[in-house]
Amino acid sequence: MARITELDVNGSREKIDVDAERTLLSVLRDDLDLTGAKYGCGEARCGACVVLMDGRPVPACVTSAGSAAGAKITTVEGLEQDGQLHPLQEAFLEVGAMQCGYCTPGMIMAGVALLRDNPDPDEAEIVRTLEGNLCRCGAYPRIVAAVRRAAGMLRGGGAA
Amino acid sequence: MPKTKKVKSTITENGETREVEIEVPDVEVSWGKREDRKNVGSRMTRVDGADKVTGRAKYTYDIDLPGMLWGRILRSPHAKARITAIDLEPAKRMPGVKAAMTLKEAGATVRFAGDEVAAIAAVSPEVAEDAVRAIRVTYEPLPFVVKEDAARAPDAPRVLGNDRPNVEPGRARSEGDVNKAFAEAAAVVEAEYRAQARLHACLETHGHVVARQEDGGIKVWASTQAVHGTADEFAAIAGIPKDKVEVVCQHMGGGFGAKFGPGAEGRAAYELAKLAGAPVKLMLQRREESEAAGNAPSAIMKVKIAGAKDGTITGIEASGYGTGGIGGAGVPFPYIYKTGSQKVTQETVRTNIGPSNSMRAPGHPQASFLMESAVDELAYKLGLDPLELRMKNDPSALRQAEYKIGAERIGWKQHWNPTPGKGQGAKVRGVGVASATWGGGGGGGTQVDVKISRDGGVWVGVGTQDLGTGVRTFIAAIVADEFGLPREAVRPEVGSSKLGNSGGSGGSTTTPSVAPGVKMAAIQAKFDFLQALAKATNEPPDKVELLPGGVVTNGTKQLSWKEACKRLPVAGVSSRGTWVPELQQSGVGGVQFAHAEVDMETGRVRVLKIVCVQDCGIPMNKLTLESQMNGGMIQGLGFALTEDRIVDAQTGRLVNWNLDEYKLPGPWEMPVFEPIVYEYPEAKGVSGVAEPVVIPTASAIANAVYNACGARVRSLPLIPKHVLEAMGRVPGRESA
Amino acid sequence: MKPFEYVRVKDARQAAQALGTERDQAKILAGGTDLLGEMKDYLVTPARLVNIKTIPNLDKIEHDDKKGLKLGALVTLSRLAEDKNVRERYTALAQAIDLSAMPQIRNAATIGGNLCQRPRCWYYRDEHTICLKKGGSKCYAVEGENQYHAILGGGPCYIVHPSDPAPALVALGARVVITDGTKTREVPLEQFFILPAQNVRRENILAQNEIITHVLVPAPAPGTRSVYLKEREKDSYDWALASAAVVVTPNAGSVGAARVVLGGVAPVPWRVAEAEKALVGQPLNPATLARAAEAALAGATPLEKNGYKVPLAQAVVRRALSLTMA
Repeated sequence: MARITELDVNGSREKIDVDAERTLLSVLRDDLDLTGAKYGCGEARCGACVVLMDGRPVPACVTSAGSAAGAKITTVEGLEQDGQLHPLQEAFLEVGAMQCGYCTPGMIMAGVALLRDNPDPDEAEIVRTLEGNLCRCGAYPRIVAAVRRAAGMLRGGGAA
Repeated sequence: MPKTKKVKSTITENGETREVEIEVPDVEVSWGKREDRKNVGSRMTRVDGADKVTGRAKYTYDIDLPGMLWGRILRSPHAKARITAIDLEPAKRMPGVKAAMTLKEAGATVRFAGDEVAAIAAVSPEVAEDAVRAIRVTYEPLPFVVKEDAARAPDAPRVLGNDRPNVEPGRARSEGDVNKAFAEAAAVVEAEYRAQARLHACLETHGHVVARQEDGGIKVWASTQAVHGTADEFAAIAGIPKDKVEVVCQHMGGGFGAKFGPGAEGRAAYELAKLAGAPVKLMLQRREESEAAGNAPSAIMKVKIAGAKDGTITGIEASGYGTGGIGGAGVPFPYIYKTGSQKVTQETVRTNIGPSNSMRAPGHPQASFLMESAVDELAYKLGLDPLELRMKNDPSALRQAEYKIGAERIGWKQHWNPTPGKGQGAKVRGVGVASATWGGGGGGGTQVDVKISRDGGVWVGVGTQDLGTGVRTFIAAIVADEFGLPREAVRPEVGSSKLGNSGGSGGSTTTPSVAPGVKMAAIQAKFDFLQALAKATNEPPDKVELLPGGVVTNGTKQLSWKEACKRLPVAGVSSRGTWVPELQQSGVGGVQFAHAEVDMETGRVRVLKIVCVQDCGIPMNKLTLESQMNGGMIQGLGFALTEDRIVDAQTGRLVNWNLDEYKLPGPWEMPVFEPIVYEYPEAKGVSGVAEPVVIPTASAIANAVYNACGARVRSLPLIPKHVLEAMGRVPGRESA
Repeated sequence: MKPFEYVRVKDARQAAQALGTERDQAKILAGGTDLLGEMKDYLVTPARLVNIKTIPNLDKIEHDDKKGLKLGALVTLSRLAEDKNVRERYTALAQAIDLSAMPQIRNAATIGGNLCQRPRCWYYRDEHTICLKKGGSKCYAVEGENQYHAILGGGPCYIVHPSDPAPALVALGARVVITDGTKTREVPLEQFFILPAQNVRRENILAQNEIITHVLVPAPAPGTRSVYLKEREKDSYDWALASAAVVVTPNAGSVGAARVVLGGVAPVPWRVAEAEKALVGQPLNPATLARAAEAALAGATPLEKNGYKVPLAQAVVRRALSLTMA
């Protein structure tokens, strides 16, 4: 059985020892105590587990630890820089883009990747990017507004 | 410095509620003038928002304890079967399996696919998944029935047992002479409407972490809408006093009515923890969540409704049924409007499906669709504007005002088609309206503690829970306003059964149950604080006062809040407040309008805009309130457009259990939302609005679809299949 | 179920060896988005996972103005849809990807894996329902919840092929390169897929020890327009109720050549020669569109609950064709 002994998570090399076919979600949550990414459906149907792998949002629940090895993983816990929230995190707070908050980390990770590729996404682009992220409480309108707001903050020279 | 007086309240202890007289400072108990409320009623960001955006917020699923095991439940694959044997040994022999137990014994009958059979605890979720499958169960499959129409047949297999019929009479109402009304009516509409069963689809599944404590007690992390109620139940399960149980729920990922007690999974987690001698985390997996953790019942109803020429509804006759699986069903009917005479019968039909559970305004969204569709059809048949017909028959003064606002905001006059379906091109548009009613009052018994410490900190604790509606935030706001302090100075704590009693968060009761208690605690705390300060500084109590900004006048001197607090006794000041009825109110209305587009060739419905006009007494936090209104509309949109729990008649199994096939609306489905909080001067108390805002959305959309395309879609959801069938576009499936 | 073994391979020969010949004992892991889901539902319990993402040079998009596109099987859907050349010249493919799954899945899923994904039929996907496709004796869709099942080409099993890119690629005349490490074959994609009547257990001709290495898409003739259109119950992440990939090459004011391929309505991407015949030589006017749409669905035999797919698919064909003129 192939073992994975190291993962690059949030800029640090984490020593682990896990089966290669374990899911990235389970390794992050249960081995590294990074519980920001959530279990929602286990089969990439809800977006609650989205993390960035080499900058791209992927569903951690169907990503094997084996394929994550060697890649740079970013989770919601890795967005804060020197005590400063990412502008999208700030924007989520300010516009109230959450209720229960369970979908929030996945939404934010998908949104962060979008803003990196596209500094000024319109509503349609945001909606298309977040199409796989479910929010049962129904915070979508505010989530879209938060991404727009963060885009403005980023263009305005706010902390990235 | 006021004197004290006695007022009536209720108190709940050990599950019993009784009336008590409590002593409170002799001040006017009211929310005061709007302009005097600095925080309450404003737009406030969440005090726990930072935890949620950084991933720091810990949900039950996130709890990890040293030595913790993972629980899993083995569930019946059969819709009905007798268990002839269960052998746990193969699972027990697997490396990593620490406990295995049966939840049903040989000889017992499972009554739905997903019924609990056995449980195991293992060192990892992966091992646990394999282990439940290693348990050997032999079943003797029995005849079953999962469709409500089939279950009503006299020879249908009995769902609950041979001595229980599948069909039980439900709510019935009879008043006046409906036959006379039909005979004299200017128009009569008769049709059958079908509202589908739905799933709660909480993003965080049900589950618990149970850890036994050294003192013989237990600590339970629960994804729950009721920490106190859950603690009561765990105390009973464990056979220990409630004070030995702590139930914790700091954050929870959605409940919508389905999370009120330990359930079978909580009991299993407790037993496994006991058996293994280790903490156990047992969170349901998505399939089990959909199969066994609750659903909203279907409602099917034949409705005959009569109206006079001027639009007065003169009579309604209805017979309906619905299924909540092995659980109950039923809707409030007739709904909203005065109907003159009425004759309504209903049946609960049992089927071999997991039990229903309350889901956000139980029965009301279904009732709304049945009633509002019939009322709408009547209006068109009478040649009247359906909005006018509603206003004519709606007894609520609140809604009368709300109709006017909503009609204006949706552009009823511009968008309403007098001749539905006569639009040009493939895509046609129309508008629809529907209404809501709900209690929205609070329940007694909430006890709130406030502690002021010498460092100036103000702590407020109450054993309620924040489902995401922003309870912590309004708690801080109320106390901050009372003391004239900034909101950040107040630290609210909720989500533990060790805190003062409060009820479960269901039925829109949380805010009206908690806010009055917090207000009373704040009043009491201010009183106690000033008295303590007067004593500590040897000033007469009537010389000590609290001014805005937390400035204390102590005789002639002015002290800052911090300076004043330094003079308190070492223990600080501890106060308790109890819910009083004057600060809440019951009886909310609410109306919604939808503007929708129908593709005549594909049957696809897209909603362009929804306006929700909702009263709630005195609002606590407009930012979270409007979010909750959006959320209600969005869940209503799902009910209208895509959500449908589908169980296969051959296998008895839920086929669309995951979140792609159980189709929740996503960000792309969002229309423009206009949540309008209707405030009116007579409002004196706080009401909850979680329920009313979800009720009329689907009905308003369905009515807008008719107004657009001229085809009445009498079965939800409004998917292309149903819309094309209603249009008569599907050979062999012409609509009735 | 925990697989016994997880291996990374460096080339197709190693892959073939690792995959062996005993069906489903070993499974190919690439993006993993479908396979890991299947494993979680215990639909497959392979003893060995063969990670082919470690094979070099299969993640390239190569262009040639004359020969067309050469896609490595490991190219992710996202990269493919972002490719400027693909968007401009193979529009239907880019559109199909945009409409497939969700962005996060598209970031992980590979084009090879997309073509090999298993059906989404909810009977097939149920751990406890042993349908024809899993060696059982019955297709539960026949008398069951068949609202999303096949109206064309079904029997004895009524799955629909879940891929969006596949109909687009078939319409664009794509071929797949398949190898077991020693023998390499190139097959028109249209012939890669097989109907349940041919083999109810499989959806394509891939042998146990074979992998797809490349997808070849010929350069479209000058002036050719291609469109992929998908109708679904919601726009956010949903499977097709019906979709159409159409490729039209105009010739002096009328249709010179046309390909019409339906998705979401048949067990394979469903190419309809009758619809293509109805187009060739005709001007693309409403009457032609209507005739082509009629012809496309002429053979439909709906089940009890999916009759609505007939008018729906007709509308999709008409609209896709009219978009080629836009």
